[in-house]
Amino acid sequence: MQYKSQAVAKPYFIAAIALFVAQVLFGLIMGLQYVVGDFLFPEIPFNVARMVHTNALIVWLLMAFMGASYYLVPEEAETELYSPGLATLMFWVFLVAAALTVAGYLLLSYSTLADVTMNKLLPTMGREFLEQPTITKIGIVIVALAFLFNIGMTILRGRKTVINLVLLMGLTGLAVFFLFAFYNPDNLVLDKYFWWWVVHLWVEGVWELILGAILAFVLVKTTGVDREVIEKWLYVIIAMTLITGIIGTGHHYYWIGAPEYWQWWGSIFSAMEPIPFFMMTVFAFNIVNKRRRDHPNKPAMLWALGTAVMAFLGAGVWGFLHTLSPVNYYTHGSQITAAHGHMAFYGAYVMINITIISYAMPLLRGRNAANPLKSQVWEMWSFWLMTIAMVFITLFLTGAGILQAYLQRMGENPQPFMVVQEQISLFYWLREIAGVIFLIGLVVYIASFFVGQNDPEAATES
Amino acid sequence: MTVDRSVIQSNYPPGDLAIWIFILAELAVFAIFFAAYAFTRLQHVELFNEYQLTLDREAALINTLALITSSYFVVRSVTAIKLDDRRRCVHWLLAALSMGLLFLIVKTFEYVQHYSEGINLSSNIFYMFYLSLTFFHFMHVIMGMVILAAIAVMAARGRYSRQEHTGVESGASYWHMVDLVWLILFPLVYVMR
Amino acid sequence: MKQLSDYLGIRPCTLVYLLLIFFSLTTFLVGQMGFSGLGMSLLVLSLALIKGQLVGSYFMGLGSVCGLWRWPVFIWLFIPGILIGMAFTLSYQ
Ligand code: HEM
Ligand code: HEM
Ligand SMILES: [Fe+2]
Repeated sequence: MQYKSQAVAKPYFIAAIALFVAQVLFGLIMGLQYVVGDFLFPEIPFNVARMVHTNALIVWLLMAFMGASYYLVPEEAETELYSPGLATLMFWVFLVAAALTVAGYLLLSYSTLADVTMNKLLPTMGREFLEQPTITKIGIVIVALAFLFNIGMTILRGRKTVINLVLLMGLTGLAVFFLFAFYNPDNLVLDKYFWWWVVHLWVEGVWELILGAILAFVLVKTTGVDREVIEKWLYVIIAMTLITGIIGTGHHYYWIGAPEYWQWWGSIFSAMEPIPFFMMTVFAFNIVNKRRRDHPNKPAMLWALGTAVMAFLGAGVWGFLHTLSPVNYYTHGSQITAAHGHMAFYGAYVMINITIISYAMPLLRGRNAANPLKSQVWEMWSFWLMTIAMVFITLFLTGAGILQAYLQRMGENPQPFMVVQEQISLFYWLREIAGVIFLIGLVVYIASFFVGQNDPEAATES
Repeated sequence: MTVDRSVIQSNYPPGDLAIWIFILAELAVFAIFFAAYAFTRLQHVELFNEYQLTLDREAALINTLALITSSYFVVRSVTAIKLDDRRRCVHWLLAALSMGLLFLIVKTFEYVQHYSEGINLSSNIFYMFYLSLTFFHFMHVIMGMVILAAIAVMAARGRYSRQEHTGVESGASYWHMVDLVWLILFPLVYVMR
Repeated sequence: MKQLSDYLGIRPCTLVYLLLIFFSLTTFLVGQMGFSGLGMSLLVLSLALIKGQLVGSYFMGLGSVCGLWRWPVFIWLFIPGILIGMAFTLSYQ
């Protein structure tokens, strides 16, 4: 750690991991409810578990993005953070808001929560991923603005690197697109447009910039490859991301009442969206092959390469699978969508955040470069456990989805939804088993922060 | 082009590798669009033939000549910088830019014409393709001009020389790509029937 | 120092430029005279593909590249060219 103020990242990372655990636990609860319908009913109904699962995911990813920024921006800008105090304050605001919101989901019925938080004044609740009460959303905006201000001032004051600028662009976009969450038109078509302008433009637009910047930072640090090379790649990846991603939003317009030409625009442009993900994979391996040194933090490197591969698989390959309109006609909203959602979120955004945590945490905890060997071995085990478990979750859901689309939507006599669900329950059981393995991987990951901490640090080779 | 040995033996295309990856990705999008046009036409031959006649072929010819000419000017600017002639390099770039501008003006007139006739993306499948393809290409012309302008500015400031002119070559390659796409688009959409 | 070869270097490109203009005018005339049919379509398409290859080899300079990078423009012309040709051929059946 080169700058004292980078330390503010630590609580963000810790809280992120804690929320990650909560997310996965609720995922497992839902996974069981899929096959044992009344499990935990009426204490935790499926819809509530689903909200907690997805909102915990979004919030912890945001927290980790913030932590990552607080860590890497000062180091890139070569100056202390503009205001560490503000960063710490915002951490607590964010954490308390998140905790209150989750408590609200679990303790109150959703409609009571809406009443209590005066949703009527500015109705924003009730849309997937954006279920938070309006005041929570306002809280998020305040935190985001304070965060952007802090980061922006730091960047202005210091060295301006491409990594910092790309990161800032991504973060600003993240905040700006979130504003669409405040507009809730009565017209259902418009409503869907605005919803996708948050959800899609986030994960297939501005978040990709954040992903690229963090990946580039970790690669610069661990490989010692020239910045210029890395920056050039970053430019191309960003340009490609924005061109394909923005118009690619059209792959959500097929069946919502938008004009017909979106069948073409959506299909063609979103079919190109895997390209920037593929470039990221080539980029990462290219840089690692050119490395000037072997960094002692092996897990960080593993996570970085893992991100590059899994993001391409989850977003690129599984996204492409159902992005052409004639295919999406059959798969829309099926388990194929869930399969893709899981692997893409995990491969791109979970893994990039673990990458930066893996790189930064040893330094934040006062080490020179890396954890002791034992801790690294545990962490690498957790990488394989979680990643392979996620691959299997994805495969089982894909199997379920193909069958679902076939039985329910194709052929001579399509069957009703619930009848089909019954027939594919085996896949849901298998998904749940893979989910348990994922949880074990997560436990091993957390344990890696505690094992062998008194051993000497892993040595730097070369 | 030049009979410079190092160019002849190169394993890589002129310009930065990154821009080439970008170019390939862009070309791929257009290729898919072209094929989609041709196969959709198969289902609506009459309709395509009918509405193709409403397009302004003369405007398209002017634009074709404008782009070819600008591409040629760009070639000359690259040759100039390879001879260390910065002034010429800038001049050729400006000439190419003016041809690009001509393209934009002519194309805008076409669009205004269509607009006043009430034609839009939803009018029919032919216009959907025609407008999508040409507008996407139109955006590329703008993008290419931005790149050329940036390069002209840097060339004027003396950033490039006989030894170091990758930037000029990169921009030139991008611009030729814009030209290349139009060379297929023009006959496909305006002439072939 | 300016070399003679550098001056000669532009000549092929100038020639290509003139060819491109000529082919474009031909294409335009085909349209203008109202020619249609499979033969004319394929002729116009071939002219376009040749033009594309000229731009690739001479303007973009791929003609003097060895190895893989010599081919992208060719492949880009070849595959859509085949597809378009196929679609038009089918449309006359
Ligand atoms: C890291 C990037 C990505 C993430 C995190 C992600 C995540 C998701 C999620 C969660 C959904 C479900 C949304 C819902 O609830 O309806 C979804 C839907 C979809 N995604 Fe992605 N995605 C990513 C990238 C991509 C890419 C690159 C493509 C295309 C190549 C793609 C294609 C699609 C399509 C077509 C749908 C709609 C599925 C349907 O009709 O049900 N995604 N994505
Ligand atoms: C222990 C492993 C997990 C299990 C068993 C699990 C289970 C589930 C279930 C049952 C759903 C609801 C699907 C529906 O509404 O029909 C869901 C949704 C979702 N989960 Fe998970 N999950 C797990 C881990 C994860 C992880 C690690 C991530 C993020 C990387 C994640 C991201 C999501 C997302 C984005 C959705 C919404 C998907 C959509 O709308 O299609 N889950 N999960
Ligand atoms: Fe999307």
